[in-house]
Amino acid sequence: MDKEKFELQCIDYMTGAMSWEDSEEFKGFLDRNIEYQTQFDELVDTWKMITELEIPESSAKMDDTFFNMLNKEVQKTTKKGGWSLFLEGLAGIFKPQLTYGVLLLGLGLVIGYYMNSSANTNTIEVTASNEETDNVRQKLILTLLEQPSANQRLQGVSEANKVGDVDEMVVKALLQTLNNDSNVNVRLAAIESLTNYVNDPLVRQGLVQSIPNQESPILQITLANLMVALQEKASIEPFKQLLKEKQLDTTVKKKIENSIESII
Amino acid sequence: MLKVKSGDLDKLGLLYERHKKRLFGFFYNLGNNPSISEDLVQNVFERMLKYKESFTGEGSFPAWMFRMARNVNYDYHKKAMKENISKGISPEDVRSGVDDLLNEKIEIDGNSVLLKRALDKLPKEKKELLILSKYRDLRFGEIGEIVGCTEGAAKVRVHRALKDLRTIFLQLEIR
Repeated sequence: MDKEKFELQCIDYMTGAMSWEDSEEFKGFLDRNIEYQTQFDELVDTWKMITELEIPESSAKMDDTFFNMLNKEVQKTTKKGGWSLFLEGLAGIFKPQLTYGVLLLGLGLVIGYYMNSSANTNTIEVTASNEETDNVRQKLILTLLEQPSANQRLQGVSEANKVGDVDEMVVKALLQTLNNDSNVNVRLAAIESLTNYVNDPLVRQGLVQSIPNQESPILQITLANLMVALQEKASIEPFKQLLKEKQLDTTVKKKIENSIESII
Repeated sequence: MLKVKSGDLDKLGLLYERHKKRLFGFFYNLGNNPSISEDLVQNVFERMLKYKESFTGEGSFPAWMFRMARNVNYDYHKKAMKENISKGISPEDVRSGVDDLLNEKIEIDGNSVLLKRALDKLPKEKKELLILSKYRDLRFGEIGEIVGCTEGAAKVRVHRALKDLRTIFLQLEIR
């Protein structure tokens, strides 16, 4: 019999964990082998000492402290009932949803951030394409202003309103329209469009110079109003010239006189 | 314990009544003095409440309990070493002084004092194993579960620990 098997069987036999047949067999084996028998006896001896190790009685104080602790714990849990239990339950139910929600939010933020940063790199492209459309639009304005149809010329003037920065050519074209166009509405629209660029000295000059060329009362009044608003002193002389003309409408005459006064 | 886990804390009182003696004995035999042993029993039950969720009901309750008790004992001694508290005057040291005065008791207690000294000289793991195996209702399978080995290995280890103990005991007796 090898050592380990003997050790196992000793323990089993000693603690009574062996079946009846096995224990009989083991007993026989011990009877036949004296050295194993002494080993086993020694073992049982030590074992007996161990099992007889005395343990003092624990004090009643231990019980007291334990039950105090338990009572406190029980009270704590019963107090916890009601609302907190309800909230805990709620948190338990919504926990996965909350996690997913937060996760989605985070994902959205990340995607948004990347999309935004990629848009930044495109700004140069965007401005370039904006410049391109402006160029095309200015060409369109010039073409439209040369059309025989008043409607299309009007369209051209309104196109001019859409352009952010017009170049000199467009301004000149608009001024030319203002001075020479046969249609009153087109000329009115040209004034309106030019008012967007009154900070440009070329535009101011052109507007002032166009005063004596105007024959329509409505245009004369519009220009007078505009000059008052701009407080353009250079316009006084052309207005005075206009006043000298005999066929001038009386209302317009009064209006211009008022305007000259308010400009001065 | 499963009832305690599901919120019926009163049942812990029952468990306490059932196991307090064994736990107390376990700590006492490991060489702690009675008042420390009582504190440690208390600690074990406090831990049970705290970690009641970790009891799955798969292993046996005593195995779970003693595993916790081992940790409590280990933690206590680690802390005691750190704080350099007097390493617990073991009960037999105190009593051996008293016993000198009571001559007739020496004969009776002599062996048990020697045995305790011999136990103290054993490595910690072997000592633990012997004390655990002392409880008849703790099967070797459970002991294996507590110390982390198979049933067979637990038996072999107990056997060898007993042998070692005897050797140490005999040496002490000769002296």
